[in-house]
Amino acid sequence: MKKLQPWLTLAARIILGATLLAAGILKIKHPSEAASSVRVYKLLPVSLANILGYSLPPIEIGLAIFLLVGIWVKRVGAISGILMVVFIIAVGQAWARKLAINCGCFGNGGVTADGKVHPLTYLTEIIRDIGLAALAYYLYRYPHGKLSIDKLDKLDKLDKSEEVSE
Amino acid sequence: MAMEPKKDKGMRGLVIGMVLFVVVVGVAFSLYSNKSNSAASIPSSVSKADGYGVVFNANAKPQIDIWEDFQCPICQRFESINNSYLNQVAQSGKAKVVFHPMSFIGAESILAANAAACSADQSKFLEYHKLLYQNQSTTENSGKWSNQFLEQLGQVAGISNNSFINCIQSAKYGNWTKNINADAAAKNVNSTPTVFVNGKELDRATQYMDGAAFQKALKDAGVK
Repeated sequence: MKKLQPWLTLAARIILGATLLAAGILKIKHPSEAASSVRVYKLLPVSLANILGYSLPPIEIGLAIFLLVGIWVKRVGAISGILMVVFIIAVGQAWARKLAINCGCFGNGGVTADGKVHPLTYLTEIIRDIGLAALAYYLYRYPHGKLSIDKLDKLDKLDKSEEVSE
Repeated sequence: MAMEPKKDKGMRGLVIGMVLFVVVVGVAFSLYSNKSNSAASIPSSVSKADGYGVVFNANAKPQIDIWEDFQCPICQRFESINNSYLNQVAQSGKAKVVFHPMSFIGAESILAANAAACSADQSKFLEYHKLLYQNQSTTENSGKWSNQFLEQLGQVAGISNNSFINCIQSAKYGNWTKNINADAAAKNVNSTPTVFVNGKELDRATQYMDGAAFQKALKDAGVK
């Protein structure tokens, strides 16, 4: 397990980082849809939802780069984990309130084409986000992996001694 | 480990700095470029107070607001069902009708919205609006809607002067299209088409794609 851990950390960084990168790049090309996809969850006032919608894509890309090259893995893991929990809450409350959300795309409008709630869509999204949150938590617990710029940082040693004592 | 700690730390700091810089610039740019630009030139029939939409019959009641994207296939369907009634309402002054041509689908939506605004300056908006949907490409941003094509559509609509062509070629109302998007975002418009009657959205499930239900909804709101 001890030998495996740096590789698992690397794998977690790649999976979480690649997912965030893809999400960020897809959204950054379509800012109107990105803002809409925050609004449709009806969690935030419209103006705040718009600010978040426009800001989220570059932030996701930044987090992804940090994870992929291995900088501040512990902190970035924590932030990504919190982000995933927020997504889970957003999807969960939409499901509970029976908001028929598609993906926030304009075409058929935030609402699914038939205007109905599809539990399976919400469930798969929640399961996916729980998986990503678990990876983020793993990175928070075990930030030291292969191929990481963090390796030579002082923090590294401090963190390592913590882990050993646990 | 730690063969050249100083050098590596410098590299680490550099990467951190660059990524943070890109993120901050990205956020700032995204917030700025999606804001409304009050210096944008707007067609004479456009009213800032009405979300920069193209307004027909400014003093009539009730008010009908339509958000659309000329490239959106569902908008084309909505148009084919309700166009003749809606045009009649706009032309006969039975209601205030405000068109908000959005451009979230991409480059050709911006070109089309700009051209539609140019046609409004020639008092041919309704004709041009119809022609755009009749000549919608089956795929988004296919290259079909070039400025030349949009100029030719103008001729079909009966526009034959240079100011229309200059308006299209100089993308005169390019910034205005952003204002439309910004206003739609502020009004929580999450789909196209979206129809508001007196500020209240029609029921998407029953009143959009059924011509009789659409007419009834408008008549109930006071359209004679």
